[in-house]
Amino acid sequence: MSKYAFLFMDDGVDYQNDPTPEQQKVYADIFKWFEVNGPKIVDGGAELQPTRTATTIRKSATGKVTVIDGPFIESKESVGGFSIIEAPDLDAAIAIAKTWPGYGIEIRDVVEQRERVAEV
Amino acid sequence: MPKYMLMFVGSDDWYDKQSKEELDKAYQPIMKWWDDLSKTGVIKGGEELGMQRKATSVKRVNGAMKVIDGPFIESKETVGGFALIEVEDLDKAIAIAKSWPGGDVEVRPIVDHGA
Repeated sequence: MSKYAFLFMDDGVDYQNDPTPEQQKVYADIFKWFEVNGPKIVDGGAELQPTRTATTIRKSATGKVTVIDGPFIESKESVGGFSIIEAPDLDAAIAIAKTWPGYGIEIRDVVEQRERVAEV
Repeated sequence: MPKYMLMFVGSDDWYDKQSKEELDKAYQPIMKWWDDLSKTGVIKGGEELGMQRKATSVKRVNGAMKVIDGPFIESKETVGGFALIEVEDLDKAIAIAKSWPGGDVEVRPIVDHGA
């Protein structure tokens, strides 16, 4: 079994602030998805507040630190949450991702710490 | 106490340019930062993500899920890892993000479902 990070992507829908009935239905389906897939989720991760609540810390090449109101990348699509899923392989992870009721998912490998140490 | 997600900004480019020695040197303070904050209970979870070029995405297009070989958003910089932290307030979360020995960080409050 391998671990995969699911980055749940939003397309600008603000589920926390006056969602339409259609969006509420998707949100309810997402809750169901987490129930159904519970056994495959090794770390529930978290659901993020919308990007309008983001704060970004930028570091210049000289080491100067700047705090900015807003996300790192201004874009309609953004990461809305994370979970860590366990699946036999990437194909199985993709099959799970395809059942996601929301907008989309980016699937990423998870780096095991010992792996990184062994590499360097 | 509220929870915040620290999203660490990274790029495949940066990794490609580092020698094994440079990577080792860059990771030492990061490991220490992670260990210290885990021991004090600030870090509740998190992961380091693999290369962006190895990403696979699924995206809803006209109602159906389409599989895309690659990242969701084409961009040089991406989420390279994340840490879930629990601290008093946003100011404290920003202070922790500033102490991250790596690059840029996006701080996001998380949705509390009362669980």
